[in-house]
Amino acid sequence: MSTSTPTVTALEPTRQRRKGFYKWSDSGLSSYLMLAPFVLLFVAFSIYPIFASFRLSFMRYNAICDEELSPCGSVRFGNYYRLFFEDDRFHKALLNTSYYVVGAVSLTIIASLMLAIALQADTKSNRILRVVFFLPSVTSSIATVLVWGWVFRGDGVGLLNGVLAAMGISPVEWLATPALAVPILVLMSVWGGAGYGMILFLAGINSIPTYYYEAAMIDGANPRQRFRYITLPLLKPVMTYVGITSIIGAFQIFEGVYLLFPTSVGSVGGLQDMALMLVPYLYDQGFIHFRLGYASAIAWVLFGIIFIISLINLKLSKSFEDLR
Amino acid sequence: MTIIDQEEFVPKDTFDAGGFSSPFEKRSKWSKLRRIPLYLTTIIMVAPYYWMITSSFKSVQELQKVPPTVVPNKWLLVNYFNTNFGNVNNNSTDPSNQRGLFQRFEEVQFGFFHYVLNSLFIVVTITVATMLISSLAAYVVSKHRMKGKRLIYLTIIGSMMVPWQVGIIPNFLTMSNLNWLDTYWAYIIPALPKAFIVFFLVQYLSSIPDELVESARIDRASEFTIWWRIILPLLKPAMIAMMIFASIGEWNNFLWPMIIANSPEMWNLPVALSMLRNNGAGNIGMQGIIMGASLLASIPTVLLFLVAQKHFIRGIALSGIK
Repeated sequence: MSTSTPTVTALEPTRQRRKGFYKWSDSGLSSYLMLAPFVLLFVAFSIYPIFASFRLSFMRYNAICDEELSPCGSVRFGNYYRLFFEDDRFHKALLNTSYYVVGAVSLTIIASLMLAIALQADTKSNRILRVVFFLPSVTSSIATVLVWGWVFRGDGVGLLNGVLAAMGISPVEWLATPALAVPILVLMSVWGGAGYGMILFLAGINSIPTYYYEAAMIDGANPRQRFRYITLPLLKPVMTYVGITSIIGAFQIFEGVYLLFPTSVGSVGGLQDMALMLVPYLYDQGFIHFRLGYASAIAWVLFGIIFIISLINLKLSKSFEDLR
Repeated sequence: MTIIDQEEFVPKDTFDAGGFSSPFEKRSKWSKLRRIPLYLTTIIMVAPYYWMITSSFKSVQELQKVPPTVVPNKWLLVNYFNTNFGNVNNNSTDPSNQRGLFQRFEEVQFGFFHYVLNSLFIVVTITVATMLISSLAAYVVSKHRMKGKRLIYLTIIGSMMVPWQVGIIPNFLTMSNLNWLDTYWAYIIPALPKAFIVFFLVQYLSSIPDELVESARIDRASEFTIWWRIILPLLKPAMIAMMIFASIGEWNNFLWPMIIANSPEMWNLPVALSMLRNNGAGNIGMQGIIMGASLLASIPTVLLFLVAQKHFIRGIALSGIK
């Protein structure tokens, strides 16, 4: 930009009296024509829905809106009041999601950092291993969930129970044990997400200038110290990015819960809602029970949580920067 | 004491790409052992894939074995196409007397392949259309001097903070009001505006000098010509990375299709897979078929990744380091 500014300002006087669309843009109507397809769709399907769902979240709404049978209308803060103070399923969903996000995000970051360091040297075997670790990120998520379902199958025919049987341990009902539901989903998430984080960390590591390490080596720093005092601090921006994106991603978990923890009564979440999370609960309320207003309130709680966490994360990483 | 350990004093070009090298730089016998946890992890990574592939080639009898077999006794295609199905001599209570994957979904033309075609059509249309409108928008935002474009760009960036599920209900209602439920429109139109792609392309364009555009304008090229002839070719690497992103995302899309597609003709591949699973959850014999379907559904995206690996990895890396 800066290099071109002089030429543009030099041209300015000749365009003193700009007419029509040229008043607002140096390229006239074509700017608007080129922007229009994206902006119109963006407003209609990305911006408007945010406000519409905010409005719905204060309403009772069920798409039928019959005066007698199922009236629609404002409930003020009724949906939010019910969510926070009365709805035990929502509390369970919130709790499960919190456990899941904390577990999945921290383990994914640790695993991907370790992988990035282990596979950092550019050798042939490392390149192959990087592809192997990255593969889950591009595999159909439904397919991986279905495979995990077959691995964690409760009776003797599942892979994991087969391994246990070989060691003389009796089969475990993996997917029907409430205490195991969230850990299993965490494991699936780390398995699926570590490769993606690894690529980001690898790019971060590769952008660190070599002479930092050379200088440190001359000063006699051992590999551990070099990692602690050079690599780790310089990876902080990547860490923040991986952190925010994986937190946002983790909050949106749906497929694993929906497919691995079904219930017989046509809702989601599994036995005693052991695996119920926010988005599956949103789906349950909105599209199984058709409480669209209530589901919108859930969506806004989800948004609020993600928004606050992103802000905290950004603030924290900023303040770390100031400290240095 | 020598100042520098001989092993450590290596010429620069033998360093690893980034220079952090590694606890393995001293090639002692421990360095190999240190990689053992890595290899164990690799086994865990590969195991589900191995299990998926082998299970899809096992007979129903073998799938029911406790403990399960590691290598199929016999590699069979019954889970894909069961030639014995419907044979009059067959005992109807025999669990292996079931349709293979390609003999299912009879309610739609071409059976399982209907969903492959559905998914392909949706993914290709969305990817191409979204790249066109995003690159147009990114060009204007990046290279035009226009009032209000800053506001537009900030809105685009800000919207990336909002999880897409927030808009799922209004979008569903919009689809329902337009009578688009159960049509390809509902798949394609709401999926077109992707803020991240515009953001990424604008970032990429900012590294391209404005003079290229200015000189084309002096040559009286129209804005659309500049976009088509200059911007698109320059954006090629970024476009390829984003196309892979978009198409893998759409190929795996599940929640939205499940909401908008009711009739079997309109399902995409993930929804069809979940239906297989819903119908045969408890049935062990179905597992081979489900694994076969999962395998087939995974192949296209994995192939795409392997072919365009470099672009893809670079795209991810660029997105992380701004």
